[in-house]
Amino acid sequence: MTDQLTPRRLIIKIALCLALLVIVMFVCSLVGTQKVSLRAVFAGPGDEPGQNIDYDIFVRVRIPRVILAALVGAALAASGVVLQAILRNPLAEPYILGISSGAALGVIMAVMLGLSWRFLGGSPLAIMAFVFALGTVWLVWLIGHLAGGSGITSLLLAGVVVNAFFSAVIMLLTSIIDSQQLRSTIFWLMGNITEKDFSILFLSAIFIIAGIAGLFAICQKLNVLTFGRQEAQSLGVNPRAITLVAFALASFITAVAVGLSGLVGFVGLVVPHSVRLVFGPDHRQLLPTSALVGAAFVVVCDTIARTIIAPAQLPVGVITAIIGGPVFLLLLARYSKKVGSLR
Amino acid sequence: MNIEVKNLCFAYKAQSEILKNISFGLGQGSFLSIAGPNGAGKTTLLNLLSGLLKPMSGSIKIDDAPLQSYSIKQLAKKIAVVRQEFVPVFEFSAAQVVSMARTPYLGALAFETDADKEAVADAFEMTDTARFADRPLNHLSGGERQLIFIARALAQQTPILLLDEPTSFLDMGHQVGIYDLLKKMQIENQKTIVAVTHDINLAAQYSDATLLLAADGTYKFGPTRDVLTTERIENVFGVKTFAAQVGQSRFFFPLGKYGKGSRA
Amino acid sequence: MKKPLAILVAVFAFASVIVFVIRQADHKPAKTTNQANAPQRIVSLSPNLTEIVFALGLGERVVAVSNECDWPIEAKTKSKVGSFWQPNTEAIIAAKPDLVVCETFAQQKEVAETLKRAGLNVLSLRVESIEELFTAIAKIGQAAGCPEKGEQLVADIKKQIDQIRSKSSSAGKVKVLWIMQTEPLRVAGVNTFVNEIIELGGGQNAIGPTIDQYPSVGTEEILTCGAEVIIQSAMGTEDIAKQQVAAEKFWSRYANLPAVKDKRIYVIDPDTVLRLGPRLPEGAQAVAKCMHPELFAQPKETKQKND
Repeated sequence: MTDQLTPRRLIIKIALCLALLVIVMFVCSLVGTQKVSLRAVFAGPGDEPGQNIDYDIFVRVRIPRVILAALVGAALAASGVVLQAILRNPLAEPYILGISSGAALGVIMAVMLGLSWRFLGGSPLAIMAFVFALGTVWLVWLIGHLAGGSGITSLLLAGVVVNAFFSAVIMLLTSIIDSQQLRSTIFWLMGNITEKDFSILFLSAIFIIAGIAGLFAICQKLNVLTFGRQEAQSLGVNPRAITLVAFALASFITAVAVGLSGLVGFVGLVVPHSVRLVFGPDHRQLLPTSALVGAAFVVVCDTIARTIIAPAQLPVGVITAIIGGPVFLLLLARYSKKVGSLR
Repeated sequence: MNIEVKNLCFAYKAQSEILKNISFGLGQGSFLSIAGPNGAGKTTLLNLLSGLLKPMSGSIKIDDAPLQSYSIKQLAKKIAVVRQEFVPVFEFSAAQVVSMARTPYLGALAFETDADKEAVADAFEMTDTARFADRPLNHLSGGERQLIFIARALAQQTPILLLDEPTSFLDMGHQVGIYDLLKKMQIENQKTIVAVTHDINLAAQYSDATLLLAADGTYKFGPTRDVLTTERIENVFGVKTFAAQVGQSRFFFPLGKYGKGSRA
Repeated sequence: MKKPLAILVAVFAFASVIVFVIRQADHKPAKTTNQANAPQRIVSLSPNLTEIVFALGLGERVVAVSNECDWPIEAKTKSKVGSFWQPNTEAIIAAKPDLVVCETFAQQKEVAETLKRAGLNVLSLRVESIEELFTAIAKIGQAAGCPEKGEQLVADIKKQIDQIRSKSSSAGKVKVLWIMQTEPLRVAGVNTFVNEIIELGGGQNAIGPTIDQYPSVGTEEILTCGAEVIIQSAMGTEDIAKQQVAAEKFWSRYANLPAVKDKRIYVIDPDTVLRLGPRLPEGAQAVAKCMHPELFAQPKETKQKND
């Protein structure tokens, strides 16, 4: 009974992770292709634009990027934790049930139709990615439901079918759009952290934090859900309701993240896995710590992405894959050994 | 009446009826064994009793209220279920698993109170598994794991305990140990125990009442000594047995055609 | 269920109000330019826009360009602020520009938004047709405080193009197949600026109207299009001779096409044609020569405008 989770222990762990995140964010905002002196930043914006470039770069470029990277990382990691719980599979990740192909379709359509309106300052590509991602998830849920209850097998099958169909549509559209539009689309989807309006960051932060808070409220029930629907029901947890709520919230925050930055891979798979190895599978702990670690991870990856081949920059998804890939292989090797020893 | 079943009928989709018009009743503090050949519907009946399946017709009442009138959470405070042990995908420790029994009692913040911790500690004590508390579930042997699942059911502090072949893969020592524990729960804590079992002799030794399900849907319910006779066993299982009285219980030794005990 | 929903709605309403307030505060009024406060530090993020800026005689005022800007020679020596597809926002801000010219496609639009929020003067231009080129030149001229130079440049280009057009109008229309790339085979369709250049040089697109601008075309279509001239824009500017040889080899399988029979396959330098900028007349001349060699003898040299 020694390592039972208590509210106090949890708060301490969260505080530590949060402190780590804040330090990482601060250090990374001082790193970039231009040298920025902190003292100059504190001098303020200056009367003419361009007078205090340290301030302009720090406030208009670095800080928004770091905040965005943190939000995207937190959303993807939290979503990964939840999907791994619902699907009872530590290899699940946030895009598995239609989000990636939905977002891609939305983006291609936005580019093709040459949409240019902006909603609350969000670009049409972002809005379309978000809307289509959510719509696709809803479609997957609907199909899974009609096919055979809301069991995870039917969900997965529905996800595979929808992904396949959408991929075909995307291929069709890709073959007829011109090269510049195509390049725009692919580039957008590769996963990019860019400088955004503070109002967008604020709105997205509200959505993502609210979503994560909602997921936290059902974390203990997620613990129970990992034992299967029958066991969950016998222990007083409504498996259908909890699966639906978890799936809806996780998909929502993933869709927000995709709208903000395209498809950043590996975060939703590798971070929950690694944190689980260190902190154990109790979701009340796993969810908040994964979110914070995921945020720090993407902030660091983005900092590497924008400095390593300066003045050009890599899409952040490249760095998360380069770091995440080998880490994932190591984890897989470790996890497989365990599977071998199971009955 | 703790558990009351009336005219229960059930069939899986597009299959013939598995349970036909089953009726029986149990007062609080009973020990019922459900026995029968493979495919007779024992586990199905258990799933119906625990609310996982809906009957085609007939009714089930728990403490004089219909089963459907209970919410999932309320039902979890009445009935605890122990199924055959298995290993979960994620490495929860034994203590974490047993603590999950307190889910129906947790408040909004979903952290265990002192009362919850006490229930868990008691469960560990009753099953004598406190030494496994911090070990991950998949580091335990099958028998130890099953004890943990029983501890979880005990920590749930329910008046009814349903078990589905709780000792199938266990050695003799664990089999008797677990049934002794269940009997103790019945006698000391007045729990109603319903156990599905393959082992006629465990049923004969421990349960006060037995429900013998045949493959054709017929059944016999009543006190164990009335239900379990060599004749009935031969009809239902198709096996000759030799009955011997030991203490207050009758034991049945199955005799194969070519075994050394055969009289032929 | 009711309580969490109410909380959610309240949070969303609160957030929307905050968002609205922040956006209002961010809005900065536009500046008007005249000779007195004409921009002195210009950054260009696109090769054709750089050519325009230099052609307006503002070369000395350019402080930074994108990696691909290589014309005129002076442009190559300017400091770089990232590529056409990925401009480096930090480097652009560090260059302290008072005018940034860029394109309107998604990536550069994002950068433009960030620069505007930092208070910089950004001019986003769409240059995808000859008419849009003229508009862009005029706008740059105005923004840079020299509108009359912009008008002059537009007039010059118009005059040269009109000359080509009137010359070629005397000859019959030649069927042209314009190849963007060979694998997979993509051509320039009828609603592209490339087509405009073809038509003013006395040509006609061998491929009829298509949905998208640069469609991929099947072998059947190619075999029956009856192209009399095949023009291929080279990949990069090196080894054009090599590419010419490879092109002739590639097209030998379509032996029934008049263009192949008459050996009228031309691989041309892409910079003057595909970069819609002040060198348009030079490019148009080169294209016209391919179609009507007897009318257009020597390609015109581009005059370096000194200031």
